Amino acid sequence: MIDPRGVLKDFGLAVPDDVAVRVWDSTAEIRYLVLPERPAGTEGLSTEALEALVTRDTMIGTAKVTP
Amino acid sequence: MNGVHDMGGMHGFGPVEPEANEPVFHAPWEGRVLALRRGLGAWRKWNIDAGRHSIETLPPADYLRMSYYEKWLASAIKLALGAGLITQRELETGKRDPSVPVATPPLTADKVLPAIMKGGPTHRETTAKPRFAAGQAVRAKEINPTGHTRLPRYVRGRLGTIERDHGAHVFPDSNAKFEGEQPQYLYTVRFSARELWGEAANPADAVYLDLWEDYLDVA
Repeated sequence: MIDPRGVLKDFGLAVPDDVAVRVWDSTAEIRYLVLPERPAGTEGLSTEALEALVTRDTMIGTAKVTP
Repeated sequence: MNGVHDMGGMHGFGPVEPEANEPVFHAPWEGRVLALRRGLGAWRKWNIDAGRHSIETLPPADYLRMSYYEKWLASAIKLALGAGLITQRELETGKRDPSVPVATPPLTADKVLPAIMKGGPTHRETTAKPRFAAGQAVRAKEINPTGHTRLPRYVRGRLGTIERDHGAHVFPDSNAKFEGEQPQYLYTVRFSARELWGEAANPADAVYLDLWEDYLDVA
């Protein structure tokens, strides 16, 4: 909560200072889904090929999708 | 309540240790506790908010020591004893107390999947008008209720902005006390990281928190 950048670093994800970090503190009535950022150069990939890039960590926001 | 569970902003717990290939359950008993809790919940002797409050009211030292499903089990035992679903003697012996009549469990195997798929939505229709609108400045109230609440300490008294209106939802504070659902508007409120944590925070960072209308004042 107080140090989201530090927590993400524990997961091996370094967030540059010029990228804003928005912490969503879920209180359980509303659930949120992480939509991973599409990596550059993947515009031509099929749904199946994109699916193969998605991991658990990219869906919980602790890792970026790597092509 | 200002309990040990309300940890937002606390220091000293050490780094997160991500577990590779984390399993759904670390031991078979964890799955049994999940099933037990679902089965007990089907009796409707308590609601989800009262269930959460029973976890918050575990002794603080136990709360910190126990794993996730150990807390679930400890709380399930408290709730089941309190509601008379089991007796102290049954808990201690692991055998049915012959003086207690046998009842048919309300949750049978065929009802498990439909119940899980249905979930427990908390949205309720209301004719009341929302007090706040997106973009409006609000201040979280400085209140210290002793019962269940979703207003964490780190945000009390702080200035925020309404981000989104989610419509009316069951009010956990009253529901946990069996005082009814008393649905009221739920809003996502944006607090800048600097408002919460001071000048050392990145000026672009923010915390978004869902708060009920009763937690908020016009700023």
